[in-house]
Amino acid sequence: MTTIPDFRKTVPQPLPPVQFNIPNFSRTTLDNGLKIVVIPDSRLPLVSYRLAFNWGDVNDPEGLNGISSAVAAMLNEGTFEYSSRQLADQIERLGASISVHASDDFTILSASSLSLYGSAILRLAAEMALRPTFPEEELDLYRRNTIEHLKFQRSQPGFLANEQAARLLFGGHPYSRVSPSADDIEKLTRDELQRIHSAAMIPNNATFVVVGDVDKEEIVREIDDLFSGWRPGEYIVPKFADFPERKERTLTVVDRPGSAQSNIVLANRAIDRKNPEYFPTIVMNQVLGAGASSRVFMNLREEKGYTYGAYTRLDTKRLGGDFEATAEVRTAVTGDSLKEFFYELERIRNEDVPGGELDDAKNFLTGVFPIRAETQEGLTNLIVNQLLFDLPNDYLQTYRKNINAITSDDVRRVAGLYVRPDEMAMVIVGDAKEIIPQAKQFAEVIEIFDTEGNSTVLPDHEAAAN
Amino acid sequence: MTEAFKLQPLDIEEYSLENGLRVVLNKDEAVPVVSVAVYYNVGSRNERPGRTGFAHLFEHMMFQGSENVPKAGHFQYIMKAGGTMNGTTSSERTNYFETLPANQLPLALWLESDRMRSLAVTQENLDNQREAVKEEKRLRYDNQPYGQIFDLIAEMIYKNFANSHSTIGSMEHLDAASVEDVREFFRVYYAPNNAVITISGSFDTQTVKELIEKYFGDISKQPLPAELDVSEPTEVAETYREWEDKLAPFPAFLIGWKVPARRTPEYNALYLAGKMLYDGDSSRLYQKLVKGDESVIQLFGFTDERRGPSSIFVGAIPKPDKDLSKIRDVIMHEVADIAKNGPDPNEMQKVNNQLVNDAVRTRQSSMSRAQQIAEFALYDGDPSLINSELEELLAVTPDQIREAVNKYLNTENRALLDIVPAGKG
Repeated sequence: MTTIPDFRKTVPQPLPPVQFNIPNFSRTTLDNGLKIVVIPDSRLPLVSYRLAFNWGDVNDPEGLNGISSAVAAMLNEGTFEYSSRQLADQIERLGASISVHASDDFTILSASSLSLYGSAILRLAAEMALRPTFPEEELDLYRRNTIEHLKFQRSQPGFLANEQAARLLFGGHPYSRVSPSADDIEKLTRDELQRIHSAAMIPNNATFVVVGDVDKEEIVREIDDLFSGWRPGEYIVPKFADFPERKERTLTVVDRPGSAQSNIVLANRAIDRKNPEYFPTIVMNQVLGAGASSRVFMNLREEKGYTYGAYTRLDTKRLGGDFEATAEVRTAVTGDSLKEFFYELERIRNEDVPGGELDDAKNFLTGVFPIRAETQEGLTNLIVNQLLFDLPNDYLQTYRKNINAITSDDVRRVAGLYVRPDEMAMVIVGDAKEIIPQAKQFAEVIEIFDTEGNSTVLPDHEAAAN
Repeated sequence: MTEAFKLQPLDIEEYSLENGLRVVLNKDEAVPVVSVAVYYNVGSRNERPGRTGFAHLFEHMMFQGSENVPKAGHFQYIMKAGGTMNGTTSSERTNYFETLPANQLPLALWLESDRMRSLAVTQENLDNQREAVKEEKRLRYDNQPYGQIFDLIAEMIYKNFANSHSTIGSMEHLDAASVEDVREFFRVYYAPNNAVITISGSFDTQTVKELIEKYFGDISKQPLPAELDVSEPTEVAETYREWEDKLAPFPAFLIGWKVPARRTPEYNALYLAGKMLYDGDSSRLYQKLVKGDESVIQLFGFTDERRGPSSIFVGAIPKPDKDLSKIRDVIMHEVADIAKNGPDPNEMQKVNNQLVNDAVRTRQSSMSRAQQIAEFALYDGDPSLINSELEELLAVTPDQIREAVNKYLNTENRALLDIVPAGKG
């Protein structure tokens, strides 16, 4: 029989802390309004570029759903100088990558390569951003492939849940569309793509970020050479419908016969990215459900074994956002899982978070911060977000201080404001005839959809309703 | 231009404790972050018939507490220290890893050593994790369109049970797992002399060595498990199967070939050939099928790299009105072209640049360095291979690629799985 040495019995003390300093950066603006930010990073012979526009799917004009994403996707399908094939060959021959993606709020061209090929890849990025031709035959292929992808994503339960949740929370606002329809895609024309490209991709609505093994003056000069001829335009701020007000909890079931699980999304509208309550709200979310040590995971997975993972999530966009609690659970415990979710949602609203638990959440958020900045891509993304959301200049430098200032009162206050169980949209994707008897006690209003997004009833509706 | 490029070698120091635990240190102080990776030489290949899925279920049990760490304490201690962590299971190994602020290294070593020496196993925790694993199986495999096809094709490719069965296992076998099984597995496979620990990032070498000795030095070694036989004949177990997928919206197919073990010259040549065939928008099959013929919605390919016989896959989800056999003909035609003519110089240049780019990029994070180094240490007994692997791949010649494709990517060692949508009917 051996005794356990004392050092095994308690958590070891950390070593002395090591400082981590996020590099400061300066900005340059070209005459045409293009903002340039350069952060030299010579850890490895790599360079990352981002050309980011304040223009996203939210800017799709009336009747042209999906066009901003189409413009983004088509930038590598042909330019004045190169065909689609030639672009792919040129980029990949350097072992590099360039991709363009439109999200709700922004369109971002991302390019990265060995610094050895930094100038060549920058030239190709400029060619794609400034001189795309949207060839008819490539657009035709884009339309047909996208329509098939739209059909494919209807086989995925996560997509079906998000589609309904966005519709319920955002109503007539463009944030309600997680995807265009096949009809929308059919309607896209080359003329319209060119028009949107000219309206969206203007230098005075863009930011160019460079992080990597570069010489600052030299890279600004290169960007100036390639982009100074780009003519500014006028960005017209679109008008959006108000978000709908929700007054009661509703249940929306997407019937997906053959499902092995229920996908649960419980959602209410919450904060936009610049909301002054951002810091208390992310701390609250960390306590409640952001990670594997958070409350809903510990309850639904570790104690109950209902699911592989249960989480809460904040989606903070430029104009609004939402709070979601999600889990994929086995069908037979759908009702029990809802009960545990609502228990946790009420608890964080009605009880103070104990000091130790609050400190744990704050320590996580401040501690992972340097880990997120470890890779060049990670550091670049932090900086691009700060710039696109127009956060304060010292945002990254003061992030940890702001987290550390949050109190238990703050957490309780924002939980009361932004966790709204009585107004939640409950969306469940799975086998409706099994789900409804378990879930109907949680909401007065019940609606059922098929996987195509059409309103439907169960074949044996009476059985379920009784 | 790639010849001009010299990658700075990583700083690697390797040694063993008296109990046989192999330690690899990779110091890099660019960011005040440290990653710890513990690799155990056990994966689903070590499972016995009737217990498929056990290595992975066991991985879950490693988060259920040990003598001085409460159930789920592992997650909580790491996260409250500002770290991230996880564990994964493959056919080859089970790994556990965490990344932390540099000053929290003692915490990681305390947690990893406590579960290596004194895992707590209870019926209640086993039952609970069995349910979590079953939900993981439903989430990732049973409830996803095409979610089961890679497990199915492994059964078709491999004849040896060690290679052919899935890592997630079957529901019946998960049900059959007992507390006694868990204890026995722990004793046999989770000994210090059956593991490698790699630490990468910002640290003081002398301090780390003292901490490792303090936390791991007194864990007893065990007799090593018997050598595993993973050998295979060249031909596949089954050349054709049709499978009804009730969640799949479209028909699809998957082709798999049985190929030699990782890091053999043939495997390396086939890895490069795969990149030429399916990697990126300029690849041969993307240009032929997604562009050219416009016949597929989605094209994918990858290699499954193992210490024994490995595999390489190409699959496609064709557009609804397209003839699947014609698409397969195009694939086999391109394969035959490489087998006959070899890659062209532009393709070689492209793939070489991609290899250099990949090698540099994966060195950025302490965690990806720790994991790669641990694999070389565990599989090859030589962690410094991380510094020569790129040169090995860049040395592959067009002739080697031509010969390997000719020899291995034929129809005898090819398995073809046709996926037929069975829902809504």
